Amino acid sequence: MFKKILVANRGEIAVRIIRACREMGIATVAVYSEPDKNALHAALADERICIGPASAVQSYLNMQNIISAALATHAEAIHPGYGFLSENSLFAALCVQNDIVFIGPESDVIDRMGNKDQARRLMMSAGVPVIPGSGVVTVAQAKKAAVKIGYPLLVKAAAGGGGKGIRIVEREEDLEKSVVAACEEAKKAFGCGDVFLEKYLTSVRHVEVQILADHTGNVVCLGERDCSLQIGRQKVIEETPCSAIDEHIRKRLWEAAVKAVKAAKYTNAGTVEFLLAPDGNFYFIEMNTRLQVEHRISEEVSGIDLVKWQIRIASQMELPFRQEDIQLRGASIECRINALGGGKVSFLHVPGGNRVSFDTALIQDAEITPFYDSMIGKLITAGNDREEAVRKMEAALCELVISGVPTNIEQQSEIIRSPEFHSGQYDTAWLQKRKEART
Amino acid sequence: MSEFKIADLFRKPANPLEPGGTPRKPADDREQCPRCKQYFPRKKLEKNLRVCPSCGHHLTLPARRRLEAFCAGGSFSELFSDITARDFLHFPGYEDKLKKARDGSGENEGVVCGTGIVGGVKCALFAMEPGFMMGSMGAAVGERITRTFEYATANRLPVVGFTASGGARMQEGIISLMQMAKISGAIQRHGEAGCFYLAVLTHPTTGGVTASFAMLGDIIIAEPKALVGFAGKRVIEQTTKSKLTADFQSAEFVLKHGFLDAIVDRKQLVEVIGRLLKQHTTEKKL
Repeated sequence: MFKKILVANRGEIAVRIIRACREMGIATVAVYSEPDKNALHAALADERICIGPASAVQSYLNMQNIISAALATHAEAIHPGYGFLSENSLFAALCVQNDIVFIGPESDVIDRMGNKDQARRLMMSAGVPVIPGSGVVTVAQAKKAAVKIGYPLLVKAAAGGGGKGIRIVEREEDLEKSVVAACEEAKKAFGCGDVFLEKYLTSVRHVEVQILADHTGNVVCLGERDCSLQIGRQKVIEETPCSAIDEHIRKRLWEAAVKAVKAAKYTNAGTVEFLLAPDGNFYFIEMNTRLQVEHRISEEVSGIDLVKWQIRIASQMELPFRQEDIQLRGASIECRINALGGGKVSFLHVPGGNRVSFDTALIQDAEITPFYDSMIGKLITAGNDREEAVRKMEAALCELVISGVPTNIEQQSEIIRSPEFHSGQYDTAWLQKRKEART
Repeated sequence: MSEFKIADLFRKPANPLEPGGTPRKPADDREQCPRCKQYFPRKKLEKNLRVCPSCGHHLTLPARRRLEAFCAGGSFSELFSDITARDFLHFPGYEDKLKKARDGSGENEGVVCGTGIVGGVKCALFAMEPGFMMGSMGAAVGERITRTFEYATANRLPVVGFTASGGARMQEGIISLMQMAKISGAIQRHGEAGCFYLAVLTHPTTGGVTASFAMLGDIIIAEPKALVGFAGKRVIEQTTKSKLTADFQSAEFVLKHGFLDAIVDRKQLVEVIGRLLKQHTTEKKL
């Protein structure tokens, strides 16, 4: 096992990882930017190193400084968390070059899965269902491919992510300008202008499968998460299990995810994302080669600590359980708590009780700065069934108090109370439509 | 941080009641003290003049119960019960409210008036009924109290008045406000005739009632913790833009500021009223 790990992140996820290390007896090194010098993650770690000014590019995305910090503190491994450098294959390779273990998959796997077109072709060859679409296309090729795929369709950046470089095309006459625009946006955002076409499915749900894979090829699936509640392609509330699928579809979905992971020769924790159509068919979208924000709800129902297993797998340990040993119990929900502006936490009350937790780096007098992600915490509840988890969430949201900073707590309550959420009848477009209908 | 109230920070969850089980039937013969939350047999509470045997909280005592309990040996005899409110303004919903108030309280108006003997002294009495539209003062309430004072003046009787009111009855508009002057005039003449008026303020005594006859007693006493005030606490805070203390407008607060002569426990009231009547009345002693 590693004796010391550097956590290359901030906020609640850095705290989450440091807590796992503290339980495992592993010493921790936190890195922090100048405005984060009094942040909880830096305080909780055994050692802390400032890696630059507020701007993420100069601090949490600054590979050289982070590697230097790891070398200077003799950290044996780096956990990247999510976001920042977690899916940066160059950083993973840089770690290896400096004899530091990158806690995650290997650099070339990140690369392979990070390129959406490549990943898509790999999945097709492995027999994982993908959304009907094309390979990388020029404008001329796009016109031909579009006829086969049919409208509406999506133009997507091959190197994309975070909703950038995506265009919805409803009619043939809009295709050319959409391809050109997506190309330019992709070039600016990702440095690669490759785009491909994809059938645009409506009334779909975003369902993702959590996977753990070790070096021996043992791949276990820890159930699926429904992340359909999104606004502007940002996830808002996630739940497990997905209430829209029966056991038959669930089994096929898990099998497809395991197939995808094996085809990618993937190790460590990962997530395979699918679109679920109303007819029960599902299609591979992409693979996230890292820990997800919403990993905690899978931990709640599986009883398996994903961060600890990430570390153990990176330290060449084998999973001591197989798929048949995995038992998922009950249901779990996560509400992302976002700051809607800056401010200083003047009063903080965190709800508690059985199977209610609030993962956060917030502390009394903490300053919310505009430099980083607006998510300031994750409220997680779990119960013997969905209803119990929902009731806990309703009560917990009403007890959560973050004074001094504007938050989305009340908006989350409204969603939890809505008949759509109660019935589980929602799709990826619902929240966005609801928001637009209100404004 | 002294005014910092943590309870205000939490919202109430909207979770519906979990189904199943047997719903608890409210026990007919038991009543809960609103302050200490203990349950007591109704009979025990009644015997104790609806003062909580555990914490001493003074629960609402209906007007007729009060008069019958305070007047010796069934000596209470009601007057002016034929005067009742009319909806002369055709105020929306007033007729319904009156019907509900009559059905709910068993009284036909917001005050019960009459004569009786307290502590050996014959007197005229009135007691406002909190169960009748919060004892609000309309034309009929004003007329009954006025006539009680006029009757007492004519018969050279002292008056003991128990107030409990949310103030003027808004459904009767300006007419209800005119009762303040009318009653005050009757009290003036009663006083000029050398008669004694004892005001006993019970929870709650507010608005136009406080601003007129409740505060015109030759002696004014109150029951413990009774709310005594004119405008509501929140209205004052919003108007003056200042924070008021938690005990603001409690009988104890009002006593401290010189508007009351004493606070007397309900169970001592008969004795205290009797003593005061004897001290301030020279005629009609029995």
